[in-house]
Amino acid sequence: MVSTIKHYVSVASCWARLAIQRQLEYPLFLFSWLLMIPIQYFSGIWMLKIIVDRFQALNGWDFPQLTFLYGLGLISHGIFVVFFINTWSIDHMVINGGFDRLLLRPMNVFFQLVASYVNFIGLIDCIPGVIIFLYGAEIAGFDWSLANIGKLILVLIGGILIRAALFTSLGTIAFWTKRNGSMVGFALTMLERATMYPLSMYPYFLQALFTFIIPIGFISFYPAAEFLNADSGGLDLPLSFALWTPLVGIICFLIAGGIFKFGMKNYESAGS
Amino acid sequence: MLQAYWYITKMKLLTNLTYRFEVFTSVATNLILMLASVFLWQTAYKGDAGAAQALSLQEITTYTILSITISTIFVCDVQNTIYYKIREGQIVTDFYRPIPLLACYLAEDIGEMFSALLNRALPLVVFASLFFGVPWPASFQSFLLFLPSCLLSYAILWLLSALVGLIAFWVMELGNMGNVKDSIVRVLSGSIVPLWFFPESVQNVSKFLPFQYTYQTPLGIYIGNTSTSEAFTSMGVQAVWIAILYLILAAGWARTKKKTLIQGG
Repeated sequence: MVSTIKHYVSVASCWARLAIQRQLEYPLFLFSWLLMIPIQYFSGIWMLKIIVDRFQALNGWDFPQLTFLYGLGLISHGIFVVFFINTWSIDHMVINGGFDRLLLRPMNVFFQLVASYVNFIGLIDCIPGVIIFLYGAEIAGFDWSLANIGKLILVLIGGILIRAALFTSLGTIAFWTKRNGSMVGFALTMLERATMYPLSMYPYFLQALFTFIIPIGFISFYPAAEFLNADSGGLDLPLSFALWTPLVGIICFLIAGGIFKFGMKNYESAGS
Repeated sequence: MLQAYWYITKMKLLTNLTYRFEVFTSVATNLILMLASVFLWQTAYKGDAGAAQALSLQEITTYTILSITISTIFVCDVQNTIYYKIREGQIVTDFYRPIPLLACYLAEDIGEMFSALLNRALPLVVFASLFFGVPWPASFQSFLLFLPSCLLSYAILWLLSALVGLIAFWVMELGNMGNVKDSIVRVLSGSIVPLWFFPESVQNVSKFLPFQYTYQTPLGIYIGNTSTSEAFTSMGVQAVWIAILYLILAAGWARTKKKTLIQGG
C-alpha cells in the first residue's frame, strides 16, 4: 500500500515537473494571460460596485460581502484550474486517441488523466482571486481566527471536489458521443454566475436546482453566507457549512468517479 | 470582384450552419448569461431603488437582452485568423490571392455573421421573449435608427479587431492579445453595465474613446434613451471613429506587408 502511494506520488511529481517546464518554455505567452485574467475579474467586481453604489445591496448582500463571495468563488476556481484542467479535454483525448494511452498503463486512469497535466498557468486566476478575497475579508470584517482559517480550507477543498465532479461527469459524455462540444464554456458560465454572485438573486427553482441537484451553491455561496452572517436565501442546515461542503464534495466526487468508470466500460476507441 | 467576396461569405455561412452541437451549447451559454444578468438587474431594481434611475427595469432588461444578442452577431474573428495564419505560416499563401487580404477576412466574418443571425441570435431572442416578454424597441423610428447604428458599431469593432491582429506580425509569441482587447471592450462599451451608471469621471473619459460607440450607442437608440437628433450626432461620431481607425489600419497594414515580405526573403 505504502509503496503504491509512493509510486503514484513520484509519477505525479514527475509529470508536474514536465508540465511546468513545458509551460515555462514560452514565457511571453504567459504575458497575455497575465493581462487578461486580472482585467476580466477586476472589472467584474468593479461592475458589482457600480451597481451596488447606484442601486442597493443585492438581497441584503452589501459590497464588502459581495467582494468576499466573489473572491472565495474565484480562488476555488483558480485552484481547480491548476489541478483538474485535464477534465476539460476528455473529448479531445477520446477523439485523438490520447485516451487509449492512459488505458494501456498499469495505473488508475482517472489519476493519470488529472495528474498528467498540472496547469501552472492557472495560478494566474488565483492572483485576482486572492487579492479580491483578502480585500473583501478586510472590509467585511472577517475574523481571521484559527477556527475560521481551518473552516476556510475545508470549504475550499470541498468546493474544488464539487467542481471536479461536475466537469468529470460532463467529460464522461464524450465516451458515448465522442465529443461534448463547448459544454465546458457552458458549465464555466453557470459556475461563475452561481458561485461568484449571491445565489439568492435567482428564482427559487434555480436555487433549489443549485442546492440539491447540482450542488454548486455549496462551493462558496452558503459558506460565505455563514462566515459573514449574510442572507442565505432560506437554507439553514445544522452544524457548519465547513462540514457540509467537504461532505457534499466527497459524495459528488464519488458519484462522478462511478459515472466515469461506467462510461469507460462503454468506451470504444475512436482511432483505427 | 464582388463575386469573389460573396463566394467566401457564402462558403463560411454554409460551413457554420453544419456545426449543430456547438451552436446548441453556444445558445445555452449565452442564455445563462442573459438570465443571470437580468436577474441581477431585477434584484438591483427591487423596491423603489429603480425609481430615480436613468433607465426603467423594462428598459435595462431590453438593453441586456439585445446586448448579448448582438454580441453573438458581431463576429470579429479577424484577430484570431491573422494570429493563427501567421503562427502556422499560412499567411504566405493568402498573400497570393488576387484580392486584398483584409477584405477576404472581412468577407469570412460577414459570412459567419449571417449564420450567427440565424442559429445564434434568433433562438436567443425567442427564448428571451418567452422568459421576459418580447424586447420591443421604444418606437418604430428607434428601430429604424438602430439598424444603421449597429452596422457602424460592427465596423468599429471589426477595425479594432484587425488592428489587434496586426500586432501579431511584430510579436508572434505574445499570445492572444485579442482576448485582452475583448475584455477591455466588454466593460468600456457598456455591454454589461451601461456607461450611464458609471461614475461621472469615467463617463467623461469614455466620450473620447471608441468603445462606448460600439454597444451603448445602438442599444441606447433602441430603447429610446437617445433622442433622434442625439442619435444622428452619435452616428456621426461613430463614422469619425471608423475613419480614424481605418486610416490607422491602412497605414499599419502597408508597413506590415513590407515587413512580412522581408521576412519571407
